[in-house]
Amino acid sequence: MAQLVGEEKAKLAQKVDFRTGNEMAARAAKQINFHLMGYYPITPSTEVAEFLDEMRAEGEHEIRMIPADGEHGAAGICYGATSGGGRVFNCTASQGFLYSLEQLPVQAGSRFPMLLQLVNRSVSGPLDIRCDHSDLYFALTTGWIILLAREPQAVYDMNIVAVRIGEHPKVRLPVIVAYDGFFTSHQKRRVQYFENDEAVTDFVGRPPEFPHTLDPRQPVTVGAYMNDPDLINNKYQLKLAMDAAREVIPQILEEYGRISGRSYSFLDLYKMDDAEAAVLLINSAAETAKDVADRLREQGQRVGVVSLNVLRPFPAEELRQALRGVKALTIGERADAYGAQGGPLSHEVKAAIQEDPKNRTLCLTRVYGLGGKDFYAEDAEEFFNLALKAAETGQVDTRFDYHGVTPGDPDKPPMQVLPPLTKEEVSPGLVQVSRNEETGELKVKPIARWQLPVQAKRIAAGHGACPGCGILPALNLFFRGIEGDVVIVNQTGCAEIVTSGYPFSNHRVTYIHNLFQNGAATLAGLVEMFQERQRRGDLPADEDVTFVMISGDGGMDIGIGAALGAAIRNHKMIILEYDNQGYMNTGSQLSYSTPLGHMTTTSHVGPAQAGKAFHHRDTPQILASCHIPYVFTGTEAFPDDLVKKAAKAQWYAKNEGLVYGKVLIACPLNWRSEDRLGAKILETAVNCRFFPLYEVEQGITKLTYDPDRTRHHVDVPDWLGLMGKTRHLLQPQYAPQLEALEAEIERRWQRLKAMHDHPQL
Amino acid sequence: MVAALPKNLDEDGFYGIRLESIGGLGAHLAGQILAEAGVLRLGLNGSHFSSYGSEKKGTPVKSFIRFCRPDQTVRTNSPVERPHVVAVFHEALIGREKVAVGLRPDGIIIVNSVASPGEMKERLGLPGGTVGVVDALGIAVAENSRPNMAMLGAVTRAADFIDPEAVKASIRETFGRHYPQMLEGNMQAFQRGYDELRLETFPVKGEWADAVARPQPAYGYLNAPWGGMVTNPGNSATKDLSASRQGFLPALDLEKCVHCGLCDIVCPDYCFVWETYTKDDGKVAARLVGIDYRYCKGCLKCVEACPTDALVEMRETEGYAEAHSVALFPNPEQDK
Repeated sequence: MAQLVGEEKAKLAQKVDFRTGNEMAARAAKQINFHLMGYYPITPSTEVAEFLDEMRAEGEHEIRMIPADGEHGAAGICYGATSGGGRVFNCTASQGFLYSLEQLPVQAGSRFPMLLQLVNRSVSGPLDIRCDHSDLYFALTTGWIILLAREPQAVYDMNIVAVRIGEHPKVRLPVIVAYDGFFTSHQKRRVQYFENDEAVTDFVGRPPEFPHTLDPRQPVTVGAYMNDPDLINNKYQLKLAMDAAREVIPQILEEYGRISGRSYSFLDLYKMDDAEAAVLLINSAAETAKDVADRLREQGQRVGVVSLNVLRPFPAEELRQALRGVKALTIGERADAYGAQGGPLSHEVKAAIQEDPKNRTLCLTRVYGLGGKDFYAEDAEEFFNLALKAAETGQVDTRFDYHGVTPGDPDKPPMQVLPPLTKEEVSPGLVQVSRNEETGELKVKPIARWQLPVQAKRIAAGHGACPGCGILPALNLFFRGIEGDVVIVNQTGCAEIVTSGYPFSNHRVTYIHNLFQNGAATLAGLVEMFQERQRRGDLPADEDVTFVMISGDGGMDIGIGAALGAAIRNHKMIILEYDNQGYMNTGSQLSYSTPLGHMTTTSHVGPAQAGKAFHHRDTPQILASCHIPYVFTGTEAFPDDLVKKAAKAQWYAKNEGLVYGKVLIACPLNWRSEDRLGAKILETAVNCRFFPLYEVEQGITKLTYDPDRTRHHVDVPDWLGLMGKTRHLLQPQYAPQLEALEAEIERRWQRLKAMHDHPQL
Repeated sequence: MVAALPKNLDEDGFYGIRLESIGGLGAHLAGQILAEAGVLRLGLNGSHFSSYGSEKKGTPVKSFIRFCRPDQTVRTNSPVERPHVVAVFHEALIGREKVAVGLRPDGIIIVNSVASPGEMKERLGLPGGTVGVVDALGIAVAENSRPNMAMLGAVTRAADFIDPEAVKASIRETFGRHYPQMLEGNMQAFQRGYDELRLETFPVKGEWADAVARPQPAYGYLNAPWGGMVTNPGNSATKDLSASRQGFLPALDLEKCVHCGLCDIVCPDYCFVWETYTKDDGKVAARLVGIDYRYCKGCLKCVEACPTDALVEMRETEGYAEAHSVALFPNPEQDK
């Protein structure tokens, strides 16, 4: 018996470590050993998938990881997978969470448990990558259980209990674990976790046997449409599940406390026993307030801090008890429910205590810390002082307000720095395109390279891109082929981030950012408005604008639907994709443009994994099959070719319809290549036939450069050897990946050559 | 055994360290290794994080480390504002970022520089206090490492309650597994940074600036255009990105320039300055007149592209860029 206790103790041994919240989420997921993870990169949650991919490459777990085409797709992958009965994991934040939102009630309404990390980040617009709770508040009505984690340790613990809570037979609901972006996700703290995965797998047990979709002998129909009078009963079942969760959660938390030594309950109450004034905050800011409470207690003030470990089901009864003796409470909200005079937290707390006839707590609400604005001790102190004053006077002056806003000087509006570009500056008359009326072919008058700088740059200097970034030369060179006025839409990506960090903008022409997947649709709307306003005479008839949508290759993953829609509708606009083969803005995750075998932070190379597992998408061919007037590829390494194609692109976008162009660009940081070698790597990519330079004009494919003819052809390894992300492919153990990549490059090249030789293809 | 923290902890019981750097120099990693050593090997409690925005390589970044007694809970999430040690990984930040702001009068500031502590004190505009310098870049080049390891050595010496052996053990663990080929150079660089740090304490003459600097918004709700609109686009021209360079820049010899335009094609930073003229044959053309080094990040793509020797790589020396810069926008209205 004594030995058994010893064994049990050894199994439950915990390791002290120094880890971030995201690392702890990944650690928990690895130990739970989910069947599958569907995910899509978004700051600040992406690291969870990166850490898991790295561990997978090392052979530390076998979670099947599916890089989705967007968060909506990721949520769909997870939904489908959960219907099959296994354990499923996802992580997201902010806009990604909102993009997957419609799937969340489906998940809950279908009663398929899963686990989602929501790493709290502000919701656009304007785009802000840092923490607030505007994403979390969208989760409140989805039917998911929501657990909160104020620090990295809690991230780990909540993930483990979440599996048990969601899968409990009386509950069967999906669970969100929410923690603050950067403050918790990226801060290293002293933590503990179980050394043996077995401690976790024993605690979570085997997934329960619910009816699932992978038993052909017991077929089920999932998602039958259900109108009245049935739906209300389905929803009542969900309500009952939440009620059951209220009972189940304390039991599971207690059980977890026994094995971990860390106990949690619905509420985290700090010095609340005799508190007369209190502050209520969720997640990381609550910790800051505790330090301040200590200080105020030393001064004799009876103050305390209330925080929530569980947001759904809402701990109303626990709050009633905790607040019974509290005279005044400041509720801090890291997001607003505009127009409601307080966020949902305030209203739910007030509703809870209103049901207690004995309660007399005065409540104030302050919106604070939006978009990651730091919450300092002084801020917490002010919250306490507000509550103390109300407690003392029995009155509240201002029930609802923002804390930490700046008025600014109305006499100092933003001032012009550079004058707007003149028509002459952007139209020096160098670009001349004519059409042969007989053949229909376009002819572009060559522009000498020494003439190119005559045209003013539409993007001003002073951007925040990395040294050696390939985006800026590509954009500049492309715009060299375009004269006249331009309006740009940029969907989220490096090009957007580095040229438009508020209050700065590098764009000397009109520029709009819209979210990652929606640039093509946004520009389509703008083009149509331009034409309609011209037709109605609102705008001068001779106004001539070229409309360009700029996207990275990642944007063409998540935004392919909007791009195809715009292409099929054939709006008079250009879609320009800069392709650096990954999600570089979020830290180099694989995109569908990442070639086979390439190393990224979600396609690690290790004993159990050999870089990216599938081939790169052929976007020009996808767009060409929409039968738009002009498709092209280009690169900075062949400048004359690219300028000429830009001139054609403008002509077609003005006269015929939609143009799509893909420009391969270098990303020295994430390609792990020398800053200065960008052009050489691109040239080699073309000469090894990986990136053929061609155009599809009016449906006819033409190679505009053939390395075989110029005798510049090199082998694929000559290209791969120039980048740290691919150098492993030259080692013998990766020969299968190299051969497969070479074969695919050759197959696509030969196909293109055949198309070049046969105008009908 | 628990390391003995110094007596001059701040009012919250912390010893604070702030690393001032630019993205790509490895300050985040250095901070992580130091904090790990303190927490996992020396029995302290602590925390570590860096300033995150959408910063790219070459843009200013700060890394924060806190240490406290093992039984104290770390709760604060805000930046270290009154550091005991500030380490400036990148000398070019001085004058462009407030690197020394909030430094305690009994604190230590260390700069990656070949200057003397006395010269550095003047450049930092400090009324006195303890100033350290270490040639971390030189050490990095010699040891085939990165400046962050030499700086880590220097910081470890400044924070003298940290056992350097513990930091070395953390370095070994960080690099040993995946990058064993980098381990020896990094260990050497660490040791040399530790040994070669030159510290000097100057008597404080005049007032010690006590203020801290918190990020301030550009505009407030009364003067920011609605909807987040930027109504003065192109205002990025007022920026000076010289601090993004890591010691090298392209030097231009116009005598050798054939005005082919290739540098302008490959330049990511749009820093080449051209003038337009009409050739004898009546064609409009452009000729290069110089480089605006305020925008140049030193990638040297132009040096690769230049078909003559008009553009060559040069180790940047103090004042060269300012002396040789040609203004791209001669009269941008200052956006104040």
